[in-house]
Amino acid sequence: MLNQRTRIILALLVIIALTFTILDLRGGKGPFSSVRSVVSSALGGVQVAASVIVSPITGVGSWWGTWGDQRARIAELESQNATLQDSVVRSAEDRARADALDQLLRVAGVGRYRIVPAEVIAVEPAQDFSWTVTIDAGRDDGLLPDMTVINGQGLIGRILSTTKTTATVVLIVDTSSAVGARVAGTEEIGILSGTGRQDSLEFQTLDPLATLKPGQALVTFGSRSGRPYAPGIPIGEVVDVSGTAGQLTRIATVRPFADVSTLTVVGVVIRPPRADPRDSVLPTPPASSNFAPDETSTAGGVDDGASPAPTPSEKPEKETAAKPVPAPSASAGATADAGSN
Amino acid sequence: MWIRQTVVCASIIVVAVMLQLTLLSRLGLPGATPDLVVVCVVALALAYGPVTGAVVGFAAGLTLGFTPPAGGVIGIQALVFLVIGFLTGAVIDPRDRTVPILVGMVGLSTGAAALAYALILAAFGSNQVSWQEVPTLVLTSSLYGLLLAPIVVPTISWLVRRITPETAI
Repeated sequence: MLNQRTRIILALLVIIALTFTILDLRGGKGPFSSVRSVVSSALGGVQVAASVIVSPITGVGSWWGTWGDQRARIAELESQNATLQDSVVRSAEDRARADALDQLLRVAGVGRYRIVPAEVIAVEPAQDFSWTVTIDAGRDDGLLPDMTVINGQGLIGRILSTTKTTATVVLIVDTSSAVGARVAGTEEIGILSGTGRQDSLEFQTLDPLATLKPGQALVTFGSRSGRPYAPGIPIGEVVDVSGTAGQLTRIATVRPFADVSTLTVVGVVIRPPRADPRDSVLPTPPASSNFAPDETSTAGGVDDGASPAPTPSEKPEKETAAKPVPAPSASAGATADAGSN
Repeated sequence: MWIRQTVVCASIIVVAVMLQLTLLSRLGLPGATPDLVVVCVVALALAYGPVTGAVVGFAAGLTLGFTPPAGGVIGIQALVFLVIGFLTGAVIDPRDRTVPILVGMVGLSTGAAALAYALILAAFGSNQVSWQEVPTLVLTSSLYGLLLAPIVVPTISWLVRRITPETAI
């Protein structure tokens, strides 16, 4: 069945495939990063175009206008109807996107993050066990590797690599992701790692005596100069705690605020705020009764005196904070200076 | 003759990869992403035979690996798709192509592709695989394959007969 030539071709292909696999699994930058970036640049544009074509997938109604001309009247009415339905679908879609942008701007405004808005244009298939997505903003928009990516609900991930017009984002639920996190309203910090499942993260406190309760929220702890993670971004909520106080490790299961399986509009933090926004970005800051005294006394002594006070004084804070963030297009324009330094 | 065959295979693969990464993986379907690329590899292997099937599978795997977001490991998919393309072309007799056999082959291939990817990744010592997800991924992947097959396989075999009538089996 197999002649000489067939056998040689098959053996050659199998050897090449195995070689590539081994080279790629060696980790680091590897020999393929340049090939990947060339393909990214070549196909990135096609992907952007394809994504524009497929995004109003429900808008196929407008194709109705091409019926025969014998019943012109019916055809005309049908096309009119289809156009109207199309516009209804589109306006619903626009509204949904505007809502997503609004929420994103709320987070960016309260936390005083300078962001570049972007849209998700491609997602890694689930069977690759790798939670990465491509977004339609890149080096030209001031994006650099390790910048923080958020949406209106909270932290999404960080930039892995960039091309001129696109960037690859590794999501917080990816198994390779580890985020320094702080329990809101307290000073407990720990490491939050991805589990590969979209609805759960694993949080390990650095202090084995820490008390964790379901319902507590986590925010990012922040890195130096805000890369890879800017401080104060809401991440998720503790849903389950395993291990008891005093054991060597305490592990909590955390459900992320953001649903990473249905991402549309995201924002890339290109400049973190000057002062850590602490817990003020959370939808409901845990400032009310139990934690308020602790929060003010410790925060005042440790890093920033300008840490936001509990709920009563938060309203003016929000209003002043929301001002410096311009409309998405304007902030995208303002990125050139931020990206260059 | 072979130029036309190459162009047909290449354009089908590129379109399939694009559709899979920009449309199918964003639909948010439960479980795996519908594996359109594997379905196309199977369809082309049925049309052109085992050797072309293997080469097409290899090329499709590399294309999928290099196209952004490119989160997978380069080479594994090439290997898996190569084997699928070859086996499909070799196992199925061109004379008894009844619809259930073709659809079953596609379902088997998509499920096997998901499983083989996980196994090979693990065999190379990676701890990226979350095994509790694997059964769901394999089952949904073959289910989506079964759904895609009755549309994709006839379309591609029609295209092949239309454009390269002399090479098609």
